[in-house]
Amino acid sequence: MVTPDLAHQVLEEVLRRGAESAVVRLQERIYESIVYDTGVLRSYSVSRVIGLGVRASVGGGVGYAYSTSLDRESIVRAVEQAISIARVAGKYGKKVFAPVKPVKDSYRVEVKVDPFSVEPKAKVDLVKDVNTNSLRREGIVSAVTRMGLERDRRIIVTSEGSEIEVDVAGVGVAHMAVARYGATIERVGDRESYIGGYEYIERKDWNTFAEEIDRLALKAVQAKTPPPGTYVAVVDNEVVGLLLHEAFGHASEGDGVVAGASILKGRVGEKVASELITIVDAGLVEGGYPVPYDDEGVPKKKTVIVEKGVLRGYLTSRDSAHELGMEPTGNARAQDITFDILVRQTNYYAEPGDWKVEELFDGISFGIYLRGRGAMGGQVNPSVGTYTFSIGPSYIIRNGEPSELVRGVVVSGNILETLREVDAVARDLKITTSVFGGCGKGGQTVRVGDGGPHLRTRKIVVGGG
Amino acid sequence: MIGELVERGIKAGSKYGVSEIEVYAVRRVDTDIVGTVRGIERISSGQRVSVGVRVVVGKKVTVQGGFISKVDDVDSIVETAVKVARTLPEDPQWVSLPRKLGKTHVEGVLDPRVRNPEIEYFLEVAKQLLGRARELDRRAFTSTVSMGMSTIERAIGNNYGEAHLDESTEFDVFINVKAVEGGEESGYYYSYVAPTLHRFDPEQLVARATEVAVKTLGARRIETGNYELILIPRVFAGVIQSLIVPAISADSVQKGRSPLKGRVGSQVLSERVTVVDDGTYPGLTGTKSFDDEGVPTRRKVVFGKGVLEGFLYDSYTASIDGKESTGNAFRQAPFAPPSPWVTNIIVEPGSGELSDIVRDVKRGVVIYSTIGEWLSNPVSGLLNATVTNAIYVENGEEKFPVRGVVISGNIYELLRQPGLTFSGTVESFGRFMLPAVYIPRVTLAGK
Repeated sequence: MVTPDLAHQVLEEVLRRGAESAVVRLQERIYESIVYDTGVLRSYSVSRVIGLGVRASVGGGVGYAYSTSLDRESIVRAVEQAISIARVAGKYGKKVFAPVKPVKDSYRVEVKVDPFSVEPKAKVDLVKDVNTNSLRREGIVSAVTRMGLERDRRIIVTSEGSEIEVDVAGVGVAHMAVARYGATIERVGDRESYIGGYEYIERKDWNTFAEEIDRLALKAVQAKTPPPGTYVAVVDNEVVGLLLHEAFGHASEGDGVVAGASILKGRVGEKVASELITIVDAGLVEGGYPVPYDDEGVPKKKTVIVEKGVLRGYLTSRDSAHELGMEPTGNARAQDITFDILVRQTNYYAEPGDWKVEELFDGISFGIYLRGRGAMGGQVNPSVGTYTFSIGPSYIIRNGEPSELVRGVVVSGNILETLREVDAVARDLKITTSVFGGCGKGGQTVRVGDGGPHLRTRKIVVGGG
Repeated sequence: MIGELVERGIKAGSKYGVSEIEVYAVRRVDTDIVGTVRGIERISSGQRVSVGVRVVVGKKVTVQGGFISKVDDVDSIVETAVKVARTLPEDPQWVSLPRKLGKTHVEGVLDPRVRNPEIEYFLEVAKQLLGRARELDRRAFTSTVSMGMSTIERAIGNNYGEAHLDESTEFDVFINVKAVEGGEESGYYYSYVAPTLHRFDPEQLVARATEVAVKTLGARRIETGNYELILIPRVFAGVIQSLIVPAISADSVQKGRSPLKGRVGSQVLSERVTVVDDGTYPGLTGTKSFDDEGVPTRRKVVFGKGVLEGFLYDSYTASIDGKESTGNAFRQAPFAPPSPWVTNIIVEPGSGELSDIVRDVKRGVVIYSTIGEWLSNPVSGLLNATVTNAIYVENGEEKFPVRGVVISGNIYELLRQPGLTFSGTVESFGRFMLPAVYIPRVTLAGK
């Protein structure tokens, strides 16, 4: 039903009705979620997103309209609406899109075993097994295990002649354990996702994956919270990923820069981080979420944001690229067809350095080793650069060695300060993605990848209980 | 149209021989406007029709659904759901879908100006919000405005009774004002979220955002230590949402993920704290005539003078505890499984103005905004929030702005402190109506 032919028909319709240029997006996404909660199948749910979105430009005004119904009447209504919005919008301001070369291409993730053709019982049994085994561990009072299976097919055609089809499949398992020790309860969760088919689920021992999480929860519940204050910190791959994505990535998004809402505005060419830091955003990278083209049909190549500490550029859509006098970087993305695009990150990470991980601890008499497993995520105010993250159970560093575990660790700081204070970057690059969540902005969630090498920063504020 | 989808789904269920079936259909029409310093950036509009079906075969249950591209999609959703349900293990705790559906009369949830938006009117308002901050203070400007007008039609029914329908609107405005002076920058987000335009005052919205952005210019960290804390209503709401709301859901309690388990009837919070969940209160966005299972909404006291009176239930968790649903079934999407969640949260006010409370502060901080409070841990009750806009107060006088410090502590200890005080005036936004709160002693992590 969702085909390039339909997209071309809609494109023809919108141009015939008076649009000077247009982008038509079609999408069909299916998501299956199996959740076992403390020994009981909490849900087996399947949801589908289907529909079309049309962006029309008339006299410099731009309108976006969508419909989840694909009958002729609904399509025409969406097309007319996009045009009528564009006409009104033109009275309030004109928009110019940076030119792009038309591209015709399709990208498909290889799927050896289709997750949706695997018998429901086999999937349920796997999740049940992991969940019930977890509950047998002494001290684990509650556990949630989930499997997520996804396929997202997008078609983009533009009046400039681009025709893109992207078909991505992903699978993953998440596990969250709640441990009790006396009157204290603590939770630790983690998830692992793969881009591809069910073969990735079959290959891995998920009981071991869950057991490691349970063991960490059992240790964390007996741990103290760290004394609040400023620390020297060794930061693991996952926390580096979170930190860069939230604290720096959002500030480098071109729409925020244009709006004057980013602390990085007007700073291209300036030193914004330690010279050990190089940050990139790449559409296709091992371990990440594949974004070969964005939702304007622009190729997503590797974009260098920071090179040896110097700000080199921003992430852009076609219109923000025009405003900033830059090339479109292929970062215009939408959660689904019910949303117009925003400038978003794809796979945002720091390039590795040349230190060995263990060398980062040398000379730290008192500090903290910030660990990502069990991290809840983070938030940033990109206009002033303040960030905060809730991270996983971590270790206090004493005399150059990780020592006791601490829980409830929350770090905060200012992005530019934190990155300026980096004095060592390790060689171990690791990037991950997730089919259970993603990055939120403007009410939309998109899948992203993030990560980097271990690094050390001289100054980070740690809160705690 | 959505009523027909519900009937069609239930009919399809009986054809496939299900034990029980519930069909929930939602049609949403949204119009969104985004403006920045450059002017109006983006206008979008569209409609989506979603259907979720819950199919029960014996005690085997599945929830399936999604966006509907044509009417007979409902038949195929039911057909697939039945096939899947038959292969699932039984849920020993399953009793039944709710047998008594109904509606409560609610008011203040529908505004024709939001339902049929005159786009040029809202564009003019957006333009006003974009230009006004600079007029109010030359150091300030509006960096973004986003505005959303939504109409939500819902229909739900199951094999035990006829379908119920309702309709509501929602109007959201978010404004971000930045202030810049002598190399210092600050920013402040403010919002209006309600079913109607009745209380919407664009001038007051932009004035408030500008005032806080400007007065928090040049903010700095303060020393780590204990301080008196005042949280304005929005900040207090964020804390309740992150820590208390998950803990009063019967699902968290039954699964051992709430520190309130086994504490019904005991004094959990200060006697000054009364918290009510009320899905019928006029003019809040959680106000609906029935919950996401079709059970009529109602008012219930969660904490009465600090005593925990009970939890929030949907029909599934209620039957596990041998109770009735409290009308709190909530779905994150029409096609997601329901679980108990708050409708609207109302905290009873104290007395006196916020300014009087500030006047009595010896050494404290008034918090206007935080980030990351949602990362706090509702399982342990540990609060963590990073301050983005605040003012340090000494002997009742505002001294200087503060940011970048982290508020930490256990929420149940903080809200039990002697001397805890609420302001006499409340603010309403979204699903919340509540006062500002004064907490005598809180740890801030700073320098």
